[in-house]
Amino acid sequence: MELVLEYVIRGVADVFTTSSGAFDWMPLVMVVAGLFVGIIVGATPGLNGPFAMALSLPVLIWVFGVSDDALLPILGFLIGLMKGATVGGAVPAILFNTPGTPDAYLTTLDGHPMAMKGEGPKALKVAHFSSVCGDTFSDMCLFLTAPVLAVLIESVLDLPEKAALIILSLSFMAAVAGNSPIKGLMVGVLGMLLALMGTTLSGNGPRMTFGIAELGNGLPLSSAILGVLIVGEVFIGIEEAARERLSRDGPKEAPALGDNRLRLSDIKRIMPNILSSSVIGTAIGALPGIGTTLAATLGYDFAKRTSKTPEKYGTGIPEGVAATEAANSSVSGANLIPVMSLGIPGNFAAVFIILAVESVGDFTLGPHVFRFTEIKVIEGYGTIINKDLVIAFAMFTLMVIANVFNWTLGGVVMRSLGVLARVPKSIMLPVVLLITLTAVYAQDGGFIAIWVVMVFGLIGYVLKRLDISILPFVIGFLLSPRLEELVRGGYSASGGDPLFLLKSPIALAFLLASGFIIYFATKKAG
Amino acid sequence: MDTPKATTSKAPDPWDIGFGVLVLAGSLLAIFVWFPADIKGGFFNTTPLGRIEPGDAFFPILLAATLGFLSALQVAISLIKGSPSPSPGSLGKLTPHNIRFLIIFLSICATGLLIMFVLGPTVVWVMRELGLTDAEYRYLTDTAPYKYIGYVVGGFLMTVTLIAWTEGRVRPAGIIAVLSVLVVAIVVFDVLLTNVLLPPNAEF
Repeated sequence: MELVLEYVIRGVADVFTTSSGAFDWMPLVMVVAGLFVGIIVGATPGLNGPFAMALSLPVLIWVFGVSDDALLPILGFLIGLMKGATVGGAVPAILFNTPGTPDAYLTTLDGHPMAMKGEGPKALKVAHFSSVCGDTFSDMCLFLTAPVLAVLIESVLDLPEKAALIILSLSFMAAVAGNSPIKGLMVGVLGMLLALMGTTLSGNGPRMTFGIAELGNGLPLSSAILGVLIVGEVFIGIEEAARERLSRDGPKEAPALGDNRLRLSDIKRIMPNILSSSVIGTAIGALPGIGTTLAATLGYDFAKRTSKTPEKYGTGIPEGVAATEAANSSVSGANLIPVMSLGIPGNFAAVFIILAVESVGDFTLGPHVFRFTEIKVIEGYGTIINKDLVIAFAMFTLMVIANVFNWTLGGVVMRSLGVLARVPKSIMLPVVLLITLTAVYAQDGGFIAIWVVMVFGLIGYVLKRLDISILPFVIGFLLSPRLEELVRGGYSASGGDPLFLLKSPIALAFLLASGFIIYFATKKAG
Repeated sequence: MDTPKATTSKAPDPWDIGFGVLVLAGSLLAIFVWFPADIKGGFFNTTPLGRIEPGDAFFPILLAATLGFLSALQVAISLIKGSPSPSPGSLGKLTPHNIRFLIIFLSICATGLLIMFVLGPTVVWVMRELGLTDAEYRYLTDTAPYKYIGYVVGGFLMTVTLIAWTEGRVRPAGIIAVLSVLVVAIVVFDVLLTNVLLPPNAEF
C-alpha cells in the first residue's frame, strides 16, 4: 500500500514539476484552456471533441515539442478538451433543439421543452451538474479498475494472447457498431491493410506504395485518421446542409423566464437518475466500440421506466435532462479503461490520446504501465522506478483537475455560449474543411497529406452512406502495426508453428469468443 | 457510432452483394498482382542461421486472405439469408444524388487546391516575364506576400464557393468568416509556428 501511495504522490507531483525539479504551472493552465476550448467546441454545431483534439494535437506538438516534459501539458489540454466538449454539447440541444452530436439528441427531448417553458438556464444548470457528476463517477471507476485490470492482464498475456485480444476487440467493435458485423470486420481488416503501406519490419524497403516515393514512410497517420473521421463527416454535413438549406431556417431561441435557480430540492429529485445513468454510462464506456449514444438511450429509458410518472418524460422535466447528460458524460472516463489497461482505444477521443502518447515522450500505454516496481535508489546509477506508472497517476491527476474546474467554472462558461449555437453549419463545415487541410499540410509538410485526407474522407463518406461503421476501420488502421509485430513475433517465437495462436488456451478462448460474438451479432442482425 | 440494430429484410440487397464482390475481387487482386509486384520481402525469409521467419509479405497476405474470406462470407449470407435493413435515416447505398454531390464537391475542392498550388508560382513567373523580379518562386516561399497568394486565393475561393453552394446564395457573413479564418490560420501556422510552411510552399 505504501508503494502505491508513493507512486500516487510522485504522479501528483509530476504534474506540478518539470524534469529538472522546477515548479511547472503549464499542465494546469493547459487543462483549463482545453476545458474552455472543449466547451466552446461542444457548443458549436458542426464541431466536436475528436475533431478539435485532432487539430490541436499538431499545434500542441509544435508549441511544446516531443520531449518528456511536453507530454503532460499536451495530455492536459486533450483531457480538458474531451471533458469540455461533452459538457458543451448540451447547449445547442437545449436552447435551439439542434443536437450537435447523436447522443445530445436525447437531451433535446426534455431540455428543449424546458427552454420553451422559459427554463432554459435551469435546463443548462441541470445538464452541467448531471454531466459533471457522471464524468467524475466515471473517472473514479477508471482510477480504481484500470490498474487492477492491467496487472491481471499483464500477468497472463504473452504475444499470442495479446494478438488474440486485439482480434477480439476488433470483433467486438464490428459487432456493436453498425448493423452488419461482417462488414464491420471487413472494413477493420481493410483499415489494417492500408496501415501497412510503406512501413516494413525487416528494412527491405517500402512496401505497397505503388511506386509513390512520398508513401515510403507510410500513410501519414493523423491525416488518414482525420480524413476518415472528420472530413468524411464534413462531406456528409455539407451534402445535407446543401439539401436542407439549414441556414435559412435558423434556430429560434426560447425566452428565458421564470425561476431558473437550481435548488437543493431539484438536486435531490434528479440525483437517483444521475446515479443510475452514471452506472449505465460507465459500464457502456468500459466496453470498446460502444459509445455515448447507446449510454444516453439506455440511461433515459431506464429513468423513464423506473419513474412513477413516465408520461412526463419528453414534456420538459429535469429528470430527463439529468438521465441523458449523466449517462453520456460518464462514458468518457470509462472509455479510457481499455486504453490505459490494454493500450486499445475504444472510441475516437481515445484514439487521439493514444496518438499524443505515441508522438510525445517515451511513455507508452498498455498493461505494463501499472507494474508496481519497487522504488530503489542506487548510488551512482539513479532511481529504479516505473516512470510510466508515475505518468499514469499524473494523467489521473490531470483528470481530477479538469473535473474541479468543470465543477466550478464549466457551468458559467457553458451558459454564456448560447450565441455559438447560432453559427450555421453551412458556414462552419466548409471552414472546418479549410482548417483541416491547412493543419494536415503544415503537419506533414506536403500535398500528399492533403490527398490522403481527401481520399480517406471519401472512404469515410462512402462507408457512412453504405451504413457501415467507420470505428473498426479507424481502430484497425491504428492497431495494425502492433498486431503485425505480435503475430510475426509470436510465429517466430513458436519455432514456426502456423497454429501458434491456437496453442495458448487464453488466445484460443479469445478467438473463440470473437467467433461467437460475430456469429451471434450476425444472426441477430439478419 | 451506435446504430440501432436493424430489422431483417429478406431480399438480398444488390449493394450488399456488390460491396462483398468488390472487396473479394480487390483482395484477390492484392494477393496475386499487387503484393508480388510491390513487396520486396517474401512470405517467409530464411535468416543467416537457417531459421525460417515471417517476411514482409506475411501479414499483408494474411490480412488480404482474411478479407477475401470475410467478403465471400458476406456475399453468401446476403444471398442465403437476405440483407439487414439499413439503419433509420440511412439508405445503405450511394444514390445518383450522392454521386452528383461528390462530383460537384470534389470538383470545387480540386479547383481550389489547384489554384492554391499554381497561383503563387504563376504570379512570380509573370512578374519575371515582365521584369518586375528576377527571383524564382522557390526562393520566395518564405517571403510575404508571395507565400500567401496561393493559400489565400485558393483557400478563399474553395471555401466561399462551398458555402455559397450549400446556402444557395453568397452572404457577407460567409465571406467575413472565411477571411477571418484565413487570417487566424496565417497567424497560427506562419507567424507563431516558425518551422512550418503554409500550402503550397513546402512543395518548392
